[in-house]
Amino acid sequence: MGQRVAIIGAGMTKFVRRAQETGKELAWQAAKAALDSCGLTLKDIDCISMGCAPDAFDGVHMKGEYLSDGSGGWRKPYMRHFVGGGTGVFAPIHGWFHVASGVFDTCLVVCSEKMSSCHPHPQGAFKTIFDHTTEQPLNPTLIWIFALEYNRYMQTYGISKRDIALVSVKNKKNAIDHPAAHLPMEITVDDVLNSELLAWPVNRLDISPASDGAAAIVLAGERTARRLTDKPVWIEGVGWNLDTAYWATRDLAYPRYVEKAARMAYEMAGIKEPKKEIEIAEPYDPFTYKELHHMEGLLLAEKGEAPQLLVDGVTQRDGDRPICPSGGLLGVGNPISAAGLMKVIEIFLQLRGEAGKRQVPGNPTCGLAQAWGDLMQIGTVIVLKNR
Amino acid sequence: MALSERIERNVDLSYFEGKIPVNYVYTYGLGLENFFRSIKEKGEFLASKCPECETTYFPCKVFCERCFAEITNNYKVPGTGIVESFTVCHLNMDGSKKETPAVVGLIRIDGAEDCVFVHFLDISPEKAKIGMKVKPLLKRKQDRDGSIFDIVGFKPM
Repeated sequence: MGQRVAIIGAGMTKFVRRAQETGKELAWQAAKAALDSCGLTLKDIDCISMGCAPDAFDGVHMKGEYLSDGSGGWRKPYMRHFVGGGTGVFAPIHGWFHVASGVFDTCLVVCSEKMSSCHPHPQGAFKTIFDHTTEQPLNPTLIWIFALEYNRYMQTYGISKRDIALVSVKNKKNAIDHPAAHLPMEITVDDVLNSELLAWPVNRLDISPASDGAAAIVLAGERTARRLTDKPVWIEGVGWNLDTAYWATRDLAYPRYVEKAARMAYEMAGIKEPKKEIEIAEPYDPFTYKELHHMEGLLLAEKGEAPQLLVDGVTQRDGDRPICPSGGLLGVGNPISAAGLMKVIEIFLQLRGEAGKRQVPGNPTCGLAQAWGDLMQIGTVIVLKNR
Repeated sequence: MALSERIERNVDLSYFEGKIPVNYVYTYGLGLENFFRSIKEKGEFLASKCPECETTYFPCKVFCERCFAEITNNYKVPGTGIVESFTVCHLNMDGSKKETPAVVGLIRIDGAEDCVFVHFLDISPEKAKIGMKVKPLLKRKQDRDGSIFDIVGFKPM
């Protein structure tokens, strides 16, 4: 490996239902805030890693090029990539390649998403992620995938909707303390169960909102990072893994691809016992049950055990293993790629002790962020440490 | 942090409308051409098995995603299967309420057990169960057009 890589700065916009700013303006706001946070300017940046979701959201094909100016791409080595919902955690992994290789010393990682341009909502764009011959004619919505997986997960382990609904209660409450949050709320389990039924077993409050927003971080190689900050947060492990191209055939009760991604990241980070060593985590939570599903795939809970940890309060911000202290996608919002990077930023802030009212007790030293996407069969994982 | 005001309704912002003007003409491909032709002409379902790792595929395929072997032989399966999971959909694509909720199932196909197929279940929502046996319901031969809707859905056995 060329060199160790640290995150030295971060910034994000507020996540909102409908931003007046264009996607590139959102990108610029987040990128500028990230640079300002570590006292750098664009000319200190060697290269850009840009992540954003389907081109159809903006109706601009070659969306990477469209967002390049707001992302700082002018006359720089610039790359855009897209692995669906997994993009927000893949973007920093991608930036890490650039710096860890020793080819570059600094990298600005930007994720920007404007979902509200799709009218009345992006389901038309989501429909066209499915196979055009066997699936699109059925008019699938994205919610189908989750409802089918949610049902199988409950059935396999005998989990109740009531227990799963607690994820929404916890995360939306955590989001009250996040200044960028789109849907912070104090709600009860019954509120979730009584909210509009969309596709059984998924109710309205089981789902994160479609949001507009952007997030950015600055990466630096070890010498530069130590020169620029007293509190570098090191990227110690990265992993990603893709399951079958035939989404219906993957294991619905257990995300094997997340486990493979996590094992790759743990091995790189020298983590032998994730349950002990990962003190804080931001698993991807676009739907309630996914937080639990992903905790199990990340080996932070035994199979089928995550709901009990939730019920027992272990995953609360002041519990033994805080999960989604940011408020997650359910509370902070889900501008797809930016939501994943928001999770990385949360771990960065928590490990620096700079998470404000969201700060978890106990001075955590090691955490992870994870996202999930493509046709719901990719896992992306990043492990961060503050020493 | 650069924070923008929350704006909930698009009428609060000036806006204009747009669309992506694209239409498509798809081919079925080498694998699905056989699959749909067989249903249309004979009412028979084709699966395939990788000659190297024995992974089964439904609908039939011409290569194996696991070991990359070419698959040259297809075989008939009855089309029956077991419901792996299901959902009851209450909304249309545009977010409006469906008059009758649609039941969508994931069906593990008998004789091609590595594969799970997504289609509608012809059953009332309260009777749907994970683990139930189902069989495909085909359109009348003269009405078949070689699309996925030659299979109307799957119904309980």
